[in-house]
Amino acid sequence: MPQTVTPISEPAIAEALELRTSSDGRLSVMEDGNSVTVTVRQCFPWSEPHRHLSLRDDDQAEVALVDDPASLAPASRRALEQALADAGFVLEVTRVLEIEEEVEIRQWTVDTAHGRRLFQTHLDDWPRSLPAGGLLIRDVAGDLYRLAAPHQMDRKSRELLWAFVD
Amino acid sequence: MDQQIITRYIGQPASMPAGLRARIERDWGGQPIHLYALADLDHALMLGHSWLALGADHVALALPIPGTDGDWDVRSVARTAITAVRESPGLSANTLFLVAPHGEPALSVRYTQRQRGAFENIRFVLDEALAGRTVAPSDADRVYAAAVARPIRDAQALVAGRESVVILRLLRYLAPYRRQLTLGLSAAAVVTLASLVPPYLAGYLLDRVVRPAQEGRLPRGAAMTMAWIAVAAMAALYVVRQTAAHVRLRLMSVLGEFVARDLRAELYEHIQRMSLAFFSRKKTGSLITRVTADTDRLWEFVAFGVVDVSLSLVMLLGLGVVLLTLDWRLGLVMTLPVPLFCWLIYRHGESLNARFIRTWRKWSRVTDILSDTIPGIRVVKAFNQEAREIDRFVVRNDDATDEINEIHKMWTTFWPLLMFAVHATTVLVWLFALPRLLGTGHPLSPGVFVSFLLYTTMFVAPIEVIGQMVRTINRATSSAHRVFEILDSEPEVRDTGDAVRLTPVRGRVTFDGVTFAYDGVRQVLRGVSFDVQPGELIGLVGPSGGGKSTVVSLLARFYDVTGGAIRVDGVDLRQLDTGHYREQLGMVLQDPYLFHGTVLDNIRYGLPGASLGAVIAAAQAANAHDFICKLGQAYDTVVGERGHTLSGGERQRISIARAVLHDPRILILDEATSSVDTETEREIQEALERLIAGRTVFAIAHRLSTLRRASRLFVIEEGRLAEAGTHGELLSKSDGIYRRLYELQLQLQ
Repeated sequence: MPQTVTPISEPAIAEALELRTSSDGRLSVMEDGNSVTVTVRQCFPWSEPHRHLSLRDDDQAEVALVDDPASLAPASRRALEQALADAGFVLEVTRVLEIEEEVEIRQWTVDTAHGRRLFQTHLDDWPRSLPAGGLLIRDVAGDLYRLAAPHQMDRKSRELLWAFVD
Repeated sequence: MDQQIITRYIGQPASMPAGLRARIERDWGGQPIHLYALADLDHALMLGHSWLALGADHVALALPIPGTDGDWDVRSVARTAITAVRESPGLSANTLFLVAPHGEPALSVRYTQRQRGAFENIRFVLDEALAGRTVAPSDADRVYAAAVARPIRDAQALVAGRESVVILRLLRYLAPYRRQLTLGLSAAAVVTLASLVPPYLAGYLLDRVVRPAQEGRLPRGAAMTMAWIAVAAMAALYVVRQTAAHVRLRLMSVLGEFVARDLRAELYEHIQRMSLAFFSRKKTGSLITRVTADTDRLWEFVAFGVVDVSLSLVMLLGLGVVLLTLDWRLGLVMTLPVPLFCWLIYRHGESLNARFIRTWRKWSRVTDILSDTIPGIRVVKAFNQEAREIDRFVVRNDDATDEINEIHKMWTTFWPLLMFAVHATTVLVWLFALPRLLGTGHPLSPGVFVSFLLYTTMFVAPIEVIGQMVRTINRATSSAHRVFEILDSEPEVRDTGDAVRLTPVRGRVTFDGVTFAYDGVRQVLRGVSFDVQPGELIGLVGPSGGGKSTVVSLLARFYDVTGGAIRVDGVDLRQLDTGHYREQLGMVLQDPYLFHGTVLDNIRYGLPGASLGAVIAAAQAANAHDFICKLGQAYDTVVGERGHTLSGGERQRISIARAVLHDPRILILDEATSSVDTETEREIQEALERLIAGRTVFAIAHRLSTLRRASRLFVIEEGRLAEAGTHGELLSKSDGIYRRLYELQLQLQ
């Protein structure tokens, strides 16, 4: 099993990296004619989500570190961007319908771009401001919810969020 | 409970739809579903409901057919066709791939973190099968519900009930104090009623005595007599009122303390009976808050909230009736705005609540800096970041202060405005009353008007209480919920009704095919069997995470086995009286825990009646006597919280002395010498050798050299008893695990 860590920071080397989407939808790195299935980890999911991408094999060993996908060949870049969409997926909140406090937890009912969702946060867990703007909420199960522009949401959402936004 | 949590909070099915389950099992020729999980993301990353089911021979994926009423497209795959299981983890979307031969995907599903526990269970069973091991969970519904509900249950181990139900349950704690409660409530009623009389008497005196006397309609002597009687009655009334107020305050505050005391005692007793699993779920601080702050808040509610709220309602009602009876026209002017005032106070409370959450959030940013930088002050100084940390603190402190000042602005604006509105109502009463007092319109006597004015001043207090009633009840129910959450938690380890007491325990320990899984699925121990004779010293060795600590935790009955049985002297551990059994069991842990108290208290913790001579003998056996005598106050020295005034080796020897005095038949040594220097280790080793003589001992040690004297060594690896034998026997196995570990340690020395 290939375990070599290959930092791909120079364009010339990055161009040499060949990535493919395999038949099961997973990302593969082609190495010496062999295919290694990898997952994408964003090194900075909020500070710089589309750069500094760590490609890891099934044992979580780093196979390659892609500083900038733009340096990849077009086909490889497309494959990487497709995998990145999955790896960086968080639920995008479009409307806040209700926030209720209960014993130890805060119960949220929201509409997301992916459907309606009920989730819970600890009472003393607060939404986090993201470097590029917006808020990030982590629920008790570990799922992440992004509110890209809380100040531009509908009036009711803004009222409900008022206590949680600076 | 878990299914209730899913239904109440998560909004996803609490179990697999019965029709779908029946269909899959039918497709599998009647074989039952062992495990299932909900895939809540589809391949376009939209939220949806697909199901992955696992049976003995098959895995099935059920996808809803769009546009149908609950029809499913079920794809089954034979488990023999699965060669690997892979998971691609993401921030919130995970994908599980069941890989077929040649690397082709047999099935793949996507799900959020919420479902991950349920999918990990399926993955574990499949991985085990691929490794040639069989795991067959028995209750798919329970396992699914437990996995999905666990994060919420860990945060809040109850389904929040209706407030009225919680308050009624809380009020049941008043039952033992019925007499005091009745007296307290009666006294409070007397206070309320007595408050209504003086304004009436004032009006009566004015209309029936003063004015008739001034106008010569009442002889001066009779007037004086009547006036003195009225004044005396008023004085007597005030005496009665204040006596009743005293009785009410005294009885209800004491009664509230009794209720809080009873709750604290019940809570602490219940906490003591809980199993270790409970303590791993709950933070210590949270439990302490429930026993202290929450019960204190409930005292406030029982002592004053209950009476204040109910009597304020009575008071408002009484005032309304009295005012309307005295003069219904003026009465309406005064009473009609009351509901508006109550509503305004309620709304003000709600606005403040949102502001309080905001302030709480900003305040927590201030405390975050404190809890980060004070414990980490060495790092701050080492990197010369004092100025930056001060700046950060100042910014956040200012921010929090601004927010708090907003709250001050709100209430300091609201209450004067409300009082202005109340006074405006009084002015309105004057406006309506004056023409009538001066002879225009319906006649109004000055006495009635004076009574009326005095009554209006009594409106403010009950309006305030009623307006804040929702907040008072919310606070009380929240605290009551937190207390009842603990009281309603059941200990996982419980004695049977006819629990057996072994007297004496001889010390034979038998593990018979023991399996154990903390979460009911992922086995930490897999079919461990051994038989240990009384007096044997068993060394438990093996890689970290292999299951050694689980073996001793099960032996101490901190948890019950998932499968198989543990027998002591031939009796199943689950049949034993746990308290009595643990009296025969001693533990010396890697990080010994000493309580705040003297060395003496700590040594005889398990045997408080032990003689001082026995304590010294135990300390001598533990090589602790000499250093104890050198302490300032010898055995009477207070060791401080967790024994922080002593070194690790000293704490360890005190804990060995505690075990010596306890004289257990079965002894567990869990890394007892791993965190001390060589000289201390030698002294502890000597003490341990005296301690273990004549007992059945299970010793865990990473330094294998410390276990050379063991009767037998058990190598526990990946939850199995991989090797067993004496030190020499195991070393003689050329490809043995023990030999490999031993040689590795020799190379490192």
